[in-house]
Amino acid sequence: MTSERDRILAAEFVSGLLDPAEQIEAERRLVSDPDFAQEVAAWRARFSDFDDSAQEMSAGPALLQRIEDGTLADATAVEPGPSQWRALWNSLPAWRAATAIAAALTAVFALTSLIAVQFAREEIARKPIYVAILVDDATKNAGAVVNAFADGRVELIPLTDINVPEGRALEIWTLWDRAVGPRSVGLIDRARSVTLNLRDLPKTGPDQLFEITLEPASGSPIGRPTGPILYKGTTSRAL
Amino acid sequence: MPPRDIAHDAQLAAALARCAQGDRSALRVIYGLEADRMIGIAMRIVRRRDLAEDAVHEAFLRVWRSARTFDAARGTPRQWLYTIARNCALTLLRDESRFAATDDGGAPEPEQLSADDALTRLPETSRLRQCLDRLDLSKRKAVTLAYVHGLTHGEIAGRLSVPLGTAKSWTRRGLLSLQECMG
Repeated sequence: MTSERDRILAAEFVSGLLDPAEQIEAERRLVSDPDFAQEVAAWRARFSDFDDSAQEMSAGPALLQRIEDGTLADATAVEPGPSQWRALWNSLPAWRAATAIAAALTAVFALTSLIAVQFAREEIARKPIYVAILVDDATKNAGAVVNAFADGRVELIPLTDINVPEGRALEIWTLWDRAVGPRSVGLIDRARSVTLNLRDLPKTGPDQLFEITLEPASGSPIGRPTGPILYKGTTSRAL
Repeated sequence: MPPRDIAHDAQLAAALARCAQGDRSALRVIYGLEADRMIGIAMRIVRRRDLAEDAVHEAFLRVWRSARTFDAARGTPRQWLYTIARNCALTLLRDESRFAATDDGGAPEPEQLSADDALTRLPETSRLRQCLDRLDLSKRKAVTLAYVHGLTHGEIAGRLSVPLGTAKSWTRRGLLSLQECMG
């Protein structure tokens, strides 16, 4: 017999009522706790008449075509080249290495700049064009800053330590066009400065949203944020 | 369960097994059998045709990728498919509202939603319907708005014009009574 709290947790999980933190707890329990999983299955069965009696609405062949194109895109991702890129993209050691290389390159760049004595020009390049302060919606505490530079480089600098549970990671997203939806631009295992990958995206502009969500260690499985938003903010032009 | 439903579920289970082996034609079978209903389920949550199609698109890609994780011991194939469709619609709905910097073009306000349509669509013989009918009107509405339309506690509170705490307690008590009644 499960506790009343668990029964409510299962019922609210199935109804989609949980807040992000409870949602994570429920998803974890669903995998690790057979009693809880059974409770969830029972709730799904109880509510199933609602779904079974939903009005059918013609889905049409165009959507099927889109879905089939989507499965083909999935299949090409399994081929050696792209999949390695995907694995790299999802790999924390690779992100660490990339950051280390970025840091090394930055050091080399700084050194050569120094030697070149182009102080003025360097000063301009180092100044971000757009800045976003990412804030915790509930506490209004600032958690990180995003700087977008003239050369297209975008960096995230944490302002506070962020608690990342075991098996989770911080994923950074940006949204510049609601029609396109949010895009993942980075995955880090803990709060640390990182260069974001916006290479294939349009140039960062004003009022562009950035946010950090808590996701599984290998990143969101569906390419959209699934976990709670920890910090978010939009870009403003730096003076 | 009527024999027709058993045959339908068997067909779906077989198609899922073929999907797990990478047979694309099996995905078309599932689409033919269930996409219309999945659009209807998603529509009640996201309330916009284009978003409902996006949700079902994402749902079918998930079905394709994770067909091998379908476990008949955990529920029927239809429950599995509908759960995925609901989850994709809910994710999309929460994304839409979280990213909605401006109010243009978003899903219609939850204030326009009514629980009545979903309740009257339940067959008279449905145990869920019989047990919901035994609840107070407010609890019945709260539970239905949450499950069918994907409303949050806050939105239920707004829709029923009560404080958040009241909405939470109505939903919880409604859910517990429902469990007691349905067993």
